[in-house]
Amino acid sequence: MLSKVLVIIPAYNEEKSIARLIAEIRSAAPFVDILVINDHSRDDTEAQALSAGADVITLPFNLGIGGAVQTGYKAAAEMNYDIAIQLDGDGQHDPRYLADLIRPIADHRLDLCIGSRFLLHDTSFKSTALRRVGIGFFRKLLQWMTGLYLTDPTSGFRACNRKLLLQFAEYYPIDFPEPEAIKMARRHNARVGEIAVKMRERQGGQSSIRYFATLYYMLKVTFAILIDALKKKPKESRYAG
Amino acid sequence: MQVKYFIILIALVILGAVIDLIRREKMTFKYAVNWFLGCVIALFFAIYDSLLITLSKWAGFSLPSNFIFFSLLVFVIFLTLRLTLFINEQNSRTEALAQAVARLELQLKKIKATEK
Repeated sequence: MLSKVLVIIPAYNEEKSIARLIAEIRSAAPFVDILVINDHSRDDTEAQALSAGADVITLPFNLGIGGAVQTGYKAAAEMNYDIAIQLDGDGQHDPRYLADLIRPIADHRLDLCIGSRFLLHDTSFKSTALRRVGIGFFRKLLQWMTGLYLTDPTSGFRACNRKLLLQFAEYYPIDFPEPEAIKMARRHNARVGEIAVKMRERQGGQSSIRYFATLYYMLKVTFAILIDALKKKPKESRYAG
Repeated sequence: MQVKYFIILIALVILGAVIDLIRREKMTFKYAVNWFLGCVIALFFAIYDSLLITLSKWAGFSLPSNFIFFSLLVFVIFLTLRLTLFINEQNSRTEALAQAVARLELQLKKIKATEK
C-alpha cells in the first residue's frame, strides 16, 4: 500500500519563492500532498501558494516557526497521513531530495529522517562563523544527551512517520525547534537518521534566526534539551486513534 | 549569617519550581527567563555578599539593606513591565482570534444557507 505523504511548508513572507517551490515539489514528487502554513505573512504568500495549487492554512497572527510547523503536524494527524515532511518555504530545501528523505521512513528503517547539508563534501554552502560554531555545539550536545551523532541537527528539512507526527501534534518546541525536536523524538524511542542533501541559497525571505539573537537561541535550546531529559517517558498522543 | 542561607534556599526553591514548571510544559523559556535571571543574581550576591556591600557603598547607599530593597523594587518594576507587555500581546492575539472565528462563522452560515 502506498503511504499518504504530506509536505508541510512553513512560510513567512515568501511570495517570491513559494509558487516556484510548489511547482518543483509537484514535478519532483507528484504523489505528495502540499500544505503551506502561512504564518501571518504581510505579503502575497497566501494567494501565490493557492494559485500554485497547494492547500494553505493562514494563521490569524504570527506564531513563529515552531507553532507554524506544529499546525501542519496537527493537520497531518487529523487527516490520517502516514508520513509528514517539513520543508522551508524560502526555497533552501531542494524538493529533488524528497524521495530520498521519504524512503527510510516508508521502509520502516527510521522514524525521523533529517536532510543533512554536511554529509556531502560540498563547500558551496555558506554560513556565518557563529552559526557554524552553534551547529558544532548542538552536534556535541545531542551526541552527549542521546548517544547519536548527527551532522546537521539544525536542519529543518526532515520527514517523520505517523507515530512521531502524532507526538509532534501534541507538543512541538517553539523558537528554533529543530535540535529540541530531535531530543524529543529520542525520548519517544524514535530511530533518527540522516541522508545527504544539498541546500541552496535562500531565494527570498529572511532567516528566522537573526545574528544578534543567535546566542539567546543557543542558550535557550541548550536549556530546552537538558530539560527534555527530565521529562517523562512517552504518553499516548491525544491525536492517536 | 542565617539570612544568607535563607536567601540561597528561597532562590533555589524558586529556581527548582520554575524548572519543574517548564518540564511539565506549563511554562515556556520565554516567560521563565525573568525568574532565572532574578534567581541567579540573588544566588550570586548571597554567596559573594562582600561584593554586595562594596557595590552598595559605591552606589552611595548608607545601608546595604537599602540597596537590596532598592534592587528588589527595580526588579519587580521590570517584571511588571514585562508582564504588561505579555498581557498586551495576549490581548491583540485574542482579538485577532475572535475576529477570525466570527468571520468563519459568517462564511459557515452562508454555506449552510446556500445548501438549504
